[in-house]
Amino acid sequence: MASETVAAGHEATDHHAPPPQVAAEVIARELVATTIGASGRFKAWAWILGALSIAGIVALILKFIDQGDDSTKWGYVAAMVSFLLSVAGGAPMVSMAPVVAKANWVRPVTRIASIFSFAGIATVIMLIPLVAILPPLVTEGARRRTVWYIAPDYSPHFWTTLGLVLLLLTGIMLFYSAALPDFASMRDHSTGWRQRLGKRLARGWVGTDVQWRTLRMRIGMFGTFYFLILVFVNFLISTDFGQSLVPGWRDAIFPMYHTVSGFQAGVAAVVIALYFSRKYMKLEKYVHLDAFWSLGRLLFALTLLWIYFFYSSFIVFWYGRSANDIATLELLIKGPMIYAFIGGLVLMWFVPWWILIWNKVRRGTGAMVVGSFIILIGLLLDRIRTFVPAWSVPPERIHEKWLTVIPDTYWPTVFDVLIIVGGISMVAVIVMLMTRVIPVLSVWQVQEFNLLAKPIKYIKGHATLVAKPD
Amino acid sequence: MSTQSILGLFQQPEPAADAMDGLKEAGFELGTFDVLTGTPYPEGAFGEHVPQHRLFRYPAFGAIIGFTLSIFLTSVTQLAYPMVTGGKPILSLFAMLIIMYEMTMLSGVIATVVGIVIESRLPNMKPGIYDTRITEGWIGVVVTFDDDSKVADAEGVLNRAGALEIKHA
Repeated sequence: MASETVAAGHEATDHHAPPPQVAAEVIARELVATTIGASGRFKAWAWILGALSIAGIVALILKFIDQGDDSTKWGYVAAMVSFLLSVAGGAPMVSMAPVVAKANWVRPVTRIASIFSFAGIATVIMLIPLVAILPPLVTEGARRRTVWYIAPDYSPHFWTTLGLVLLLLTGIMLFYSAALPDFASMRDHSTGWRQRLGKRLARGWVGTDVQWRTLRMRIGMFGTFYFLILVFVNFLISTDFGQSLVPGWRDAIFPMYHTVSGFQAGVAAVVIALYFSRKYMKLEKYVHLDAFWSLGRLLFALTLLWIYFFYSSFIVFWYGRSANDIATLELLIKGPMIYAFIGGLVLMWFVPWWILIWNKVRRGTGAMVVGSFIILIGLLLDRIRTFVPAWSVPPERIHEKWLTVIPDTYWPTVFDVLIIVGGISMVAVIVMLMTRVIPVLSVWQVQEFNLLAKPIKYIKGHATLVAKPD
Repeated sequence: MSTQSILGLFQQPEPAADAMDGLKEAGFELGTFDVLTGTPYPEGAFGEHVPQHRLFRYPAFGAIIGFTLSIFLTSVTQLAYPMVTGGKPILSLFAMLIIMYEMTMLSGVIATVVGIVIESRLPNMKPGIYDTRITEGWIGVVVTFDDDSKVADAEGVLNRAGALEIKHA
């Protein structure tokens, strides 16, 4: 086929090269086969990460038994909840937003992005002890400043938990909605327990016109719901588990800052997952450089947005110079977590900005994945510099007009380190295990990609002709 | 009289579309034949019947229910335990918004799940005639009838369109 020759000649060097056309039966066979026969290296990593996840959960339980009565010791767990919400919550947005915009490049990426919804389980696990420790709205007869106004004392506890569980369920429904045709592929082409699972979860999918039409609609609906709930949960976590614990920290931009940095982390996580699955599952012919190029531009834009939101928030306090402005800056930036702040600033903005600004970098995969790892490390430091000082404020000072005594730096204990490592490992192992259950790339979306995109010769060059049906 | 179906299998979309046209011309009623694909072809690509759906009504209905319930919940609890805070009115909209938003979302999501189950005809307990090659890119045209005398007509249409195989059930 002439188009295959055209594509093969350009794929290696040009991110705009037309992707090679692959027959539908080859796509189904090869992608279903990726779920079977994990390599020794894969199994070893899965065991290590699984063991670290269990160690993290045990550390969480032990910490709760040992320090469950002292909220000032729980900053790192709060930072982890925020970090995991950002990564596991932000990643599925990649499976939704570009799809709504009918971007063709995103079709092979959507599955791996939506798999991150399951990693929300780790966020819920981390939240459980935190909900038990978060002070009620009224303590010692006084009500602290929150968004809850005159609501019952345990409103943040109940509604935040409900919101996070709702986000998890909506994310799983978003995943499942798009996965139905692939469960049918598993039913038709896999063997053993995977075939039985596919048969059960395909729910009799045969690919009628009605089924395809409703599939498109439910992806749109659950995607919309997911976005609305994600923004809301980011708002609740950033206000109830951050701002409301620090007297005088009043910042209308912070919830949005938290959300946008979550999107940035989500895209970074998808880039990393895509890189490893492409490389180690030999998926180069399905995941084209165009996908990295497009994700790189998205990541670059979000990296610039990070500094915009940070600066917008910072400048209000800096110019304000009232006692509570000074105290807030002292607590969150200049004081106990200055090194985490500098680390976050450098790794979330300056270094990724300097890496991603180059077209050459975004056209490749190696530097992109390095930049993405740097962003995630930066995000962790940023969450630590925000939530650890906030939780370090003793409950008896929570009702002050502003913070008069800045707490000392709270360094992580062994428990905290295990919880952080365990939480990150849990996300990684959940994503890895899900690739054993369902193809890491959506079979039907890769087939649709090939159906709607054709490599053509255009005057003297080459281009991809993409159909965009309404 | 038992319901019968036959499935014509095609490797290319054009002959499958011709078969759909042929069935219409042969007098088969809309809704008695359908196309099965492993990939979502653009709507109308096979000239297929596009039935009306009501999926959008479910989230809207659920959201209205949740919104109404949340107004009831927040208003009644505040009126039952009136407590003036910061000189604001007992029923303060901004204090109620968070719960109203979350309950609206919750009901909307639940209603959407219910709507999908109903409108997608899932779970499909009797999937009927099918071929696993459909998820490999083949296209199936399935015809269902109560009248046995039409089986030969349908087979003729499918064969003339270029069906590579015809299965009976």
